[in-house]
Amino acid sequence: MLDIKNLNVSVEEKQILKNLSLNVGKGEVHAIMGPNGSGKSTIAHTLAGNPNYEIISGNVNFNEKDLLEMDPSERSLSGLFLAFQYPIELPGVTNASYLKQIVNVHRKHRGENLIEAGDFLKLLNDKSARLNIPMDMHSRFVNAGFSGGEKKKNEVLQLDLLNPKLVIMDETDSGLDVDALKSTSEAVNQLRSSDRSFIIITHYLRLLEYIEPDFVHVFQNGSIIESGDKSLANRIDKEGYA
Amino acid sequence: MNNSEKNICSIIIGEDVKFENIPNGLDIDFQIQNNQIIGKINIIKSSEKFLINLSNTIEKKFNLELEITINENSFLELRDESDYKYGTDIIIKSIMSKNSIFEFFRLNNFKNNTKNTFNHNIELALNCEFRDFNFSNGSNEMDNNTTVSLNEENASYVGSGVMISNSTNSNNDLSIKHLSKSAKSDCSFKTVSRGSSNIKFSGKVFVDHGCSKTISNQISKGLVMDESAKISLIPKLEINNDDVICAHGAASGKPDESVIFYLKSRGIAHTDAEKIYVQGFLGEFLDKISNSEMQEKAMKYISTHC
Repeated sequence: MLDIKNLNVSVEEKQILKNLSLNVGKGEVHAIMGPNGSGKSTIAHTLAGNPNYEIISGNVNFNEKDLLEMDPSERSLSGLFLAFQYPIELPGVTNASYLKQIVNVHRKHRGENLIEAGDFLKLLNDKSARLNIPMDMHSRFVNAGFSGGEKKKNEVLQLDLLNPKLVIMDETDSGLDVDALKSTSEAVNQLRSSDRSFIIITHYLRLLEYIEPDFVHVFQNGSIIESGDKSLANRIDKEGYA
Repeated sequence: MNNSEKNICSIIIGEDVKFENIPNGLDIDFQIQNNQIIGKINIIKSSEKFLINLSNTIEKKFNLELEITINENSFLELRDESDYKYGTDIIIKSIMSKNSIFEFFRLNNFKNNTKNTFNHNIELALNCEFRDFNFSNGSNEMDNNTTVSLNEENASYVGSGVMISNSTNSNNDLSIKHLSKSAKSDCSFKTVSRGSSNIKFSGKVFVDHGCSKTISNQISKGLVMDESAKISLIPKLEINNDDVICAHGAASGKPDESVIFYLKSRGIAHTDAEKIYVQGFLGEFLDKISNSEMQEKAMKYISTHC
């Protein structure tokens, strides 16, 4: 599904990713762990097409397409979803209106009719209940004044609404209390399927105790220095990154 | 308040001035000579509620001088949702008697290549409320001047201005005078400047010596969409009393690219992302409009013109 080859990326003229290669197959869950400043979020933003991240060299193939040639919106419409570490606030736009717009953009791209107001409300109600999100949150402006946990849940809600093929979760566990971590992880587990892949970026083992990864990669200084199964995450939790 | 609770009437300015459904308790007089119109709207009955729709069908530039007086305990909602095609020079003087409420909605489209000026001077007595909402787009030259005098205790002003410009030179001056204690003012101004527009906003709050317990907020924000567009926001405070709460803020800049990227990462195309962003920016203070029908119209105005 995703094939990253020898990817080198810089931000503000400082090279962050160094010869990164990673292959993610259909239905696989890959965890990327690493200390602060190792470049984990750079992977997430580069794959999503953030213009602040400059590609020096390398290739990224996503479902037989050259991902790096695609605009961020095309990447989303092709099935890539980034759950942001720091979701953006959008004052003046209610969450419900925003969510309906993004659902309709994807429906239109698939050649489907736009969703009716009543149907959307029912869909939103069902999906919100799964994440213990109260419906009144949707009458507030997007992420404005949301707590850290509400913002992260809102990211997972969008993931659920958009039905992507590849999900990149950038430290979704940060800012979540134990209960929120559990309900969010349960929602993510329900979204796991044989044709949906995940890249989960995290510092800690605790998220991976709820969402079982197929592969764990240790990231340092812009490169993967070690890969293994979940036992690698357990070892890091005991011994640290040093 | 439902419209069913109000006496509803219309004033249509054309070659003549026409009135529709003028109720008892409302004295209206308009004189028209060439392009000069002099009008009076006088609520003579107390404790009544009126909604006046003001519109124009006039096919030339015109000047309007209007005097509005609102009797005690009365309510006036004045709506102007007109298109102005030929330029205007409007001067309004309003006097509010105690316990009255005046809601003034202007949702106007001004044709490019016209020059328009608007001056409003309003005096508020004891416990009066003036709610002023102004939405405009178009016009090459536009001057707006509003002076609000909070003359007596507990008078209050809530105002919000939204200006969407493509190639407009505009000066917007708002002066709020706190001349008695316990008066409140809350003002917001938002503008989106495109093309070669040059938008200036100056918001002055004056608090007189004896005006303790004054509360005043003022915020002005601008979005500069093009390299040659300009915005200048100038808040001014002159406070002569220590027992007050006064705040002001002003900010202008280009659209936040991180917001645009966030929207694009959800599949929204660049132009639509920018539109959603601008729509949100301009709509941030719409909750100040308590009239739900007009809040919806304001929302629609923004989404149509942004």
